[in-house]
Amino acid sequence: MDNYSLQSPPFEPGKDAVLPQELFTRAEFSEQAGEDTGFTNYSYWRSTLNTFFKSHLVKVIVVLVALLVLFTLLFPVLTDKDPYQVALSARKWNLPPSAAHPFGTDGVGRDIWARVWHGTRTSLILAVAVAVVEVGIGVIIGAVWGFYRKLDTLMFAIYNTLTNVPSTIYLVLIAYIMKPSVFTIMIALVATGWISEARWFRSRILALREADYNIASICLMTPIRRIISRNVVPHLMSLVIMSAALTIPASIGSEVFLSYIGVGLPPDLCTLGNLVNQGRSAFLVYPYQMIIPTLILCFITISFYVIGNKFADASDPRNHI
Amino acid sequence: MQYQDRKKIFSARDVVVKFNLRGKVLTAVRKASLDLYEGETLAIVGESGSGKSVFTKSFIGMLDKNGYMESGSLALDGQEYPGTQSEKEWLNIRGKKIAMVFQDPMTSLNPVKTVGQQIREVITWHFKTDKETAKQEAIELLRLVGIPEPEQRYKQYPHQFSGGMRQRVVIATAIACKPRILICDEPTTALDVTVQAQILQLIKELKDEFGMSVIYITHDLGVVAHVADRVAVMYAGQIIEHGLANEIFKDARHPYTKALLLSLPQLGEKGRDLHAIKGSPPNLYKEIKGDAFAPRNPEAMKIDFLYEPPMFQVSDTHFAKTWLLHAQARPYTDALDREGIKDTEPLRSSRPAEGKEPPLLSVKNLTVNYKLGRRTFCAVNDVSFDIHAGETFSLVGESGSGKTTVGKAIMKICHTNAGEIWFQGKQVNKKLARNELAAYRQAVQMIFQDPMASLNDRAKVEYIISEGLYNFKLFKKDAERRQKVSRAMESVGLMPEYLTRFPHEFSGGQRQRIGIARSLVVEPSLVVADEPISALDVSIRAQVINLLNRLKAEKQLTYLFIAHDLSVVRYISDRIAVMYKGRLVELAEAEALFRRPLHPYTRALMDAAPVPDPEIERDKKVAVYNPAAHDYTREGPAWLEAEPGHYVRANRAELADWLKITHGRGAGV
Amino acid sequence: MKRYYLSKLGQAIITITLVVLVVFALLRFMPTAGYFSKEQWKDMSEPEKTAYLRSLGVLDPLLVQLRRFVTGLFSGDLGRSIVMYPNMPIASVLGDKMAHSLLLNLLSWFFSALIGMPLGLAMASRKGGLTDKLGTLYVVIIRAVPSIIIHFFIQIYCSRWLGLPLLFYLEQPISWILPILSMSIGSIAGYGVWLRRYIVDEENKDYIKFARVKGLSQRYIMWRHVLRNAIVPIAINLPADFLLMLSGSLVIESMYSIPGTGGMLIKSIKAMDNPMVQVLVLLYGALSVFGVFLGDVVVSFVDPRIKLVDSNG
Repeated sequence: MDNYSLQSPPFEPGKDAVLPQELFTRAEFSEQAGEDTGFTNYSYWRSTLNTFFKSHLVKVIVVLVALLVLFTLLFPVLTDKDPYQVALSARKWNLPPSAAHPFGTDGVGRDIWARVWHGTRTSLILAVAVAVVEVGIGVIIGAVWGFYRKLDTLMFAIYNTLTNVPSTIYLVLIAYIMKPSVFTIMIALVATGWISEARWFRSRILALREADYNIASICLMTPIRRIISRNVVPHLMSLVIMSAALTIPASIGSEVFLSYIGVGLPPDLCTLGNLVNQGRSAFLVYPYQMIIPTLILCFITISFYVIGNKFADASDPRNHI
Repeated sequence: MQYQDRKKIFSARDVVVKFNLRGKVLTAVRKASLDLYEGETLAIVGESGSGKSVFTKSFIGMLDKNGYMESGSLALDGQEYPGTQSEKEWLNIRGKKIAMVFQDPMTSLNPVKTVGQQIREVITWHFKTDKETAKQEAIELLRLVGIPEPEQRYKQYPHQFSGGMRQRVVIATAIACKPRILICDEPTTALDVTVQAQILQLIKELKDEFGMSVIYITHDLGVVAHVADRVAVMYAGQIIEHGLANEIFKDARHPYTKALLLSLPQLGEKGRDLHAIKGSPPNLYKEIKGDAFAPRNPEAMKIDFLYEPPMFQVSDTHFAKTWLLHAQARPYTDALDREGIKDTEPLRSSRPAEGKEPPLLSVKNLTVNYKLGRRTFCAVNDVSFDIHAGETFSLVGESGSGKTTVGKAIMKICHTNAGEIWFQGKQVNKKLARNELAAYRQAVQMIFQDPMASLNDRAKVEYIISEGLYNFKLFKKDAERRQKVSRAMESVGLMPEYLTRFPHEFSGGQRQRIGIARSLVVEPSLVVADEPISALDVSIRAQVINLLNRLKAEKQLTYLFIAHDLSVVRYISDRIAVMYKGRLVELAEAEALFRRPLHPYTRALMDAAPVPDPEIERDKKVAVYNPAAHDYTREGPAWLEAEPGHYVRANRAELADWLKITHGRGAGV
Repeated sequence: MKRYYLSKLGQAIITITLVVLVVFALLRFMPTAGYFSKEQWKDMSEPEKTAYLRSLGVLDPLLVQLRRFVTGLFSGDLGRSIVMYPNMPIASVLGDKMAHSLLLNLLSWFFSALIGMPLGLAMASRKGGLTDKLGTLYVVIIRAVPSIIIHFFIQIYCSRWLGLPLLFYLEQPISWILPILSMSIGSIAGYGVWLRRYIVDEENKDYIKFARVKGLSQRYIMWRHVLRNAIVPIAINLPADFLLMLSGSLVIESMYSIPGTGGMLIKSIKAMDNPMVQVLVLLYGALSVFGVFLGDVVVSFVDPRIKLVDSNG
């Protein structure tokens, strides 16, 4: 609909159409009408969430992930199936899926249904813990690094040392020298991942630090604490959420890698990585033993990857209306 | 030659350009039309969001991907061509017939190819010339646009050129195929005033040499007066008035054009408010009905709010789109003429007491060095001046002059290497005790250049303005704080209801006013204003200047005003200091400085700034300052007092010369 | 220019030194069992073990060990393997394996650049088109699904469907296909997505708009301007990518039983052969640092702005 044409009165300039003379008198003037520039009501977080949930894919994924997390967290409470219960009789080994064992049993008769949900739980907790610790350390060190230029030499030396060498090497090494446990894996992942997060947040913080509004706050003598909480953190929040979401698939991937190599994780612990690797050895005969944990694992990694990226898009004000 | 006799080479009729923005359709250009005649320079003036840039981009199919030309027709040399053709078809027009130069020369050239390659490729592409000939032509072009040693420069990369030189290269590239029309989109906005003058001169010369027509897009009426034969004024996506430069500058008919010309700070009368335009320019999101300017025009008629006015003819060459020109509006316009232009409010004088009291702020031999890699760069070099309570002191210089660094040093947000800064009898450029620092911070506040960057987007206006009140504990009860914040909002002309909004929802001018409220709510005595109007639209600059002046009188403030443009500071300043490459070169009372600028740099700066009067600008030749011209072999320069209160950096011999040259320079601009 | 190379070389040397120190320090925490062959570990008594460790010098102060190791490095003595190839000099063991790994990696590196770059170009030139969407889907899967799972599936299904050998045989070039496919499938996505992003970034820059205004065709602009610039950040990473692939091939070499250094690292970790682990880790570290340095050298040829650093400094 072109709104401009409607506004032209029905006559041509120069021709003598007569308009009501009343129209040619002074109109009332309102200062506020002149101030109205036509900007719309806007709040950053509302627009971010609106943009984020605009995609149906995101809605579905978020709901499914929420259900999955809830289910795996409650699983040990809801059922008493023991994921470590070995069956002594060979008849109960490598059973295909059935009512008693929805996902079948493995080579020593352990219930895969129970093992999978326990494994998902462990892996998710591990990945989330890694994400929180890694991004947390990254933000803090990145902030300090960004605010104190003198640290540059030291931090870049550390950065080069840690990133010039492929992180898998360090990962393997750390996992190798420590006692296998969930905690070891966490240390190994955080130790190799924090520096990239720190570097990334440093560049963000450098940009934020130079922003005029922070200088304005300094001129107003706003305490550093409040500059951080009111000026810096709100701008970092979306970045933190995004990088935490993207760390999760990476952590799960590394866990599978380490369990393949056979370092870091106790081999009998239920994790998705261990389940996938154990299933792999039986794959040719009993494919479901690998397929089921793999599907769940892929669902988790893809979901968090998509969520992270979509959120990154949604949190960019340029994509807001 | 009569204008009508000129050959029309280009015309655009009823162009409508729309943008798709996330499901919304926004109209950027609403039925704009223009004609371009052979050999003329047509200036399109407008503020940001007026659609001037989008309109001209539609002539060569350079709209952004989400934009499209919905209707309208374009014709070159009488031959119509569609505004919505394929990229391939545009190639017949772009570069060959219509060329364009963009605003920022720093980003217009490919960083990894030599400037020579980038000029040569246009020639070989369009004319299939062989490489060697094209190379010779390119070198010739470089020579033509005033680049010394073009053979050597041909082989260099863009990063080896200065901003002004790069813009020359860009222009050389644009004219390489001898286009009929050259569109210049604010080509000097990113450049210094003195460089701007040279580029404007160059465009003029090339136009005559190549017989091109030029469309010059700008927001700066001074530049318009300098370059334009004809002027078209755009507002809210429409051309609302167009005519010969003289007709627009001397006999404007549209209320917006009139108000814009009247509001120029250059025309301000000291001691009176500027004729400010109220309100803010509409953006694309706003639905527009009737005359788009009506809501900001106190003299608008009722019809302006109802119907869009048609284009009325004033003379053979002058047209304006306003109901005021309708026959039935005669009684109303007659009444307006009888009223005449109302005088603006006089400003309450706040002239400083003459030198009796010690200065409020005293800068003594200030030096600031920066490290750039291994080299040390002296941003501020031995600068001294005093600011007295109640005065407006301006510091003027081009980019790299160190003026902003002086401001930062005073604000204690940058280090100082030598020298002292004293405020109210205390030295402040050293470590201060907490309560001393708090007292200083409260007393000295800053207003920033870029209102888009100086407000935290994630905080509500209420918090932004309250920030200082919290820090300096300037209220007892929360009710008192809220009252102070509301009053601050009102004092900058914004409704207190806006306090719950986020900065996103405000236009540039409104944001700048919020920034002013934030600084002034803590009741400082000295305000450092770092180019507070240069990032603002022309139509709201006067508002902000009036506001600053009014608040100064009301709250007994002292201003340090940092600017790059001498003509603007003349109106507001009591005293002006001119900086060049880290040093003060001249300091005087504002009127004394304009009456008798002594230092050649000051003179160059003054000449370079274009005046919004085509008659003055038409034949103006700009002198270029040459720092090597000083002869300091026998006697080095010193800070000399030439007249009482008028200081200049010179040695005695050259000062005597300058005094001789400028004797009786008198009332000129 | 010379100064630029020297400073980058200096940086590389510092980094390698730090890497050596870090790895060396970490390895002192390795389980001491890794210094014994299986029989020794079973048969020896505690005092015997301590005496044995002392004879190896493992119990010496760190600095002494470090000096011994570094002087060994410079004379080409990498120490001796303990478990895997009892008492063989590691240097002699690694020679052949190195060659296999390098050859395979070179092939897959070449292969992935050959496919990945055109993929990125195709995705960028029709943004939002079918190629772009399919390419994006591919990238999402490659990035989101752990690579090792993808390798499993390639090994299992591709060998079955395509009738290709499940393991690697040096003499059978046909058996090289799957390992190379596995090694390159990730980096194809990498090259594709990065090149696409760089192209899109460049296309939004002013100088591309200016090139369009000049009347140059889209094709010309893409090849002579956009790609020329988009390739710069890719070029920096090319050498490092090649060497990074070496580490990605750890798993693949082990999966296909390729007699290379990557498979070796995993085997020696599983076998707990400390000196072997030490040498391999340092080898990979040094190669990667060298790759980063090569990238800096390459970029100085592609980006004229690098020279500026020199002429001004």
